[in-house]
Amino acid sequence: MRIGHIVGMSDDTHTASSETNTTTDGFSRRTYLSAAGSATIAGLAGCAGSAGGGSTPTINIITWEEYQEMEENIEETLDVNIEITPSSSSSEMFTQWNSGQDEQFDIAVPNNNLVPNFIEADLIEPLNRDIVTAYGDMYDKFQNLAETQFSADGAVHGVPVRFGWYGYAYDTRSVPDHEPSYSIMFEEDYVDADLDGEIIMYDEANKTMPVTALYMGFEEALEGDRMTFSTDQIQQMRDRLIEQKPRLQGYISSDPTFIQEFQQGNFLVGHSGRNEIIEMRTQGADWVEYVVPQEGAMAWYETAVVSSASENKDAAWEVVNEFIAPDNGAALAKAGFSPSVNPAISEELSSEENSLYGSIDPSRLDGMIPFKAISSDVEEEYESAWEAVKSA
Amino acid sequence: MAISDRTEELHSSLSQILTTKQGKVAITAGPATVWILLLLLAPMIFMVIVSFLEVSRETYDIIFEPTLKNYQALFDSSLGFWESPFVKALLLSYGIAIISTILCLTLAFPLAYLLAKRGGQTFKVVIFLVLLPFFTMYLVRAYSWVLMFGQGGVLNSTLLSIGLISEPIELLNYGVFAIIVGLTHAYFPYMLLTLYASLDGIDFSLVDAARDLGASRVAVMKDHILPLTAPGIVGGSLFVFVPSVGAFITPRFLGQGKVQMIGILIEGRVNGGYAIGYASAASMFVLISIVAAMVLTFRYVSIEELGGG
Repeated sequence: MRIGHIVGMSDDTHTASSETNTTTDGFSRRTYLSAAGSATIAGLAGCAGSAGGGSTPTINIITWEEYQEMEENIEETLDVNIEITPSSSSSEMFTQWNSGQDEQFDIAVPNNNLVPNFIEADLIEPLNRDIVTAYGDMYDKFQNLAETQFSADGAVHGVPVRFGWYGYAYDTRSVPDHEPSYSIMFEEDYVDADLDGEIIMYDEANKTMPVTALYMGFEEALEGDRMTFSTDQIQQMRDRLIEQKPRLQGYISSDPTFIQEFQQGNFLVGHSGRNEIIEMRTQGADWVEYVVPQEGAMAWYETAVVSSASENKDAAWEVVNEFIAPDNGAALAKAGFSPSVNPAISEELSSEENSLYGSIDPSRLDGMIPFKAISSDVEEEYESAWEAVKSA
Repeated sequence: MAISDRTEELHSSLSQILTTKQGKVAITAGPATVWILLLLLAPMIFMVIVSFLEVSRETYDIIFEPTLKNYQALFDSSLGFWESPFVKALLLSYGIAIISTILCLTLAFPLAYLLAKRGGQTFKVVIFLVLLPFFTMYLVRAYSWVLMFGQGGVLNSTLLSIGLISEPIELLNYGVFAIIVGLTHAYFPYMLLTLYASLDGIDFSLVDAARDLGASRVAVMKDHILPLTAPGIVGGSLFVFVPSVGAFITPRFLGQGKVQMIGILIEGRVNGGYAIGYASAASMFVLISIVAAMVLTFRYVSIEELGGG
């Protein structure tokens, strides 16, 4: 219709220009623009035609690199094409979708704390339980968490896929046994070892600030749907982190960097996810010890969400359903060293794999606090405080 | 009208257009103009507009009401003006960029001088060696430096193993020094090639004449070579300084999160809390200050001279 309209315009304008003879060769600017427009749109239409030629739907997913392990099996099972764009940050996934890429992707798999942002920005669909039949196979704990943390208008908006938690790891060759506590990261004399310049924290406010809050005894601010620190608490955390900074080797932003630097001997104690340490142990690093501090730990569970702008919502939910199927869940667990939310994956793994990451009872998460978004009324103070730490 | 008639008319229109003056201009300058409009000017205009708007913390939508809040937030800190993260990041970025530029200039000038004077095979070999690492991706080159620095990095480990030091040197840890090394390495060729182009235009017989007439080496350098190569120095400095101020990958890798340059701060605001208003306002400051530096530069050096006229 658009092409016809523009060609029609061209006809009219051509006549008009012939009559008025405004250009040397009988062409006005309008004629030129309309002809160029026709050519461009015809070209684009050609591209669009060639792109949408097949009957197999393509599901575009932005997620963590390890999800590529499931790609082939899901494509064979569902007769879909899967295009995975790897990402290493849930915040980045949200930013991209809220900037318009929700139309480009059908599925994202952010951490649980970012899902409320997707809901508030009206980016994602409520769960289609008729398609995600494996939802009921998940541990009850994750069904409850999903219903608590990302329900809106009475509907759950995502499907947890895998989980883990953050404690800290240390090099047993240099750091003696001790009562597990975040004090090791903040207090010089907590253990009999010189840890100046030997500690790593995460380069992410949402990971490092809650840990500081746990260390400083601000648990009550972590109890609700969102983190509700007071301005004073945020300033205290900021000051504590600034004080800690000279003791740090640095802030690390990705798991592979953490592992590489730990193995390279660049630090001795690191705030860490369990999966990184399992991966290191699997590679033979038996000198690493991983502990959950007495103050508590923050837990995460990645959650698959489907874009409201997706043109293949049903197919997208079918793919999500496959994420938690036993065979795919097992492949993902092996690739990422993190347990699945579906206990049935243990049947697909060896006893050793089960002991490391296959069969982890989520009751181990009891007492841990799921990561949460910061309350919007102190979000600016929270971000400024983190920046002040980084620039100190 | 039948489709074949329309297609014929379209073909006829296009062929006639291509023979006109406007058509030729459109074919030659059109793609570049569209490219600049779509990928440079449009995003920049969007950035300027967004810097004066707020983003809802509830729905993450842009609120179309003009405000200066983003600009105020840049300098608003409970720690004071000079301690505000934006001011510190901006000053640190300028500091690192200035030092990197000076280092590039200092290292590249003697080499460019030698190349311009000798030329021939030496020039080809040296240029090849300098450019060799640049056949790999910038990301890979930046990452390779990660292995060099750190407590247990190649530099410290080597010095420890040969007994030159008894414990790792802090300077060789990640941080500002590592970033300066990384940036100097990254932008060295831009400085070298610009200086070479400038020095290559010098008539070295004048240098010999000045020396024959009793001028010292320092005097020849100060009164003859430096004034003649000033456009190259300015041009090379711009090519190093401007990207260094907004550097992101190098400080990300070599700062180990402890060094917050302006690019890191802006990225953190966008990806951390979708604060695109704040990030746009911060970017505006960087943009304006760089444009101001370039305007000042072009008051003394013409753009034709930057390539070594």
